[in-house]
Amino acid sequence: MMKSIHKIVLLSVMGAVSLSAQAGGNASAGQAIASEKCQACHGADGNSTSPQFPRLAGQYQNYLERALSEYQSGARSNPIMSGFAAGLSEQDKKDVAAWFSSQKGLTSAVEPRTVSR
Amino acid sequence: MKANYLPGLALLAASVLPISGFAAGDAAAGKIKAFTCMGCHGIPGYNNVYPTYHVPKLGGQHADYIVAALQAYKSGQRNHGTMHAQATTLSDQDMQDIAAFFEQGGK
Repeated sequence: MMKSIHKIVLLSVMGAVSLSAQAGGNASAGQAIASEKCQACHGADGNSTSPQFPRLAGQYQNYLERALSEYQSGARSNPIMSGFAAGLSEQDKKDVAAWFSSQKGLTSAVEPRTVSR
Repeated sequence: MKANYLPGLALLAASVLPISGFAAGDAAAGKIKAFTCMGCHGIPGYNNVYPTYHVPKLGGQHADYIVAALQAYKSGQRNHGTMHAQATTLSDQDMQDIAAFFEQGGK
């Protein structure tokens, strides 16, 4: 009896951990991918120094994931990015997006009402 | 006579063209032109209605990249209904100005 309760607790903990990893992405796993594939253009932390390559640091994670998926599907067409995105698994996309999203960089542009009327 | 003024014209063209070709955006003008953009990009955490992902942050983004993105939306090379509609109303100068505004933080 005790044993089976332990088993249930253990299983549900494992389930919760793997679920949160899937939804959130693993930033440190993403960092490893970024240092291999992304940093030459986008910078190690996503603050690219070349103006033709977008900053990714601080960008929303689900926007970055979607961009990668669109490069994979061809919905977004870019010969460089389709090559890099092609080899990424669903988990890789979440991880690398989690890494760049967690870095300091881009901001939401606020103050929409500062234009004098 | 002809030989005298042709080099002058060439010099004039050479001095004017590079300036207009690389005209930097005017962030102050961009602030006004970006009024519509702020309805989505100016709200932290704002979602696209369909499908649900966040409207990207633009504060601090490179101006060159923003201009390239707007051109791609305008031409249809990059596919997004709302952004295509917005970008088709913009001139090249508008794009430069808006991009300059966002590059400096959107403030």
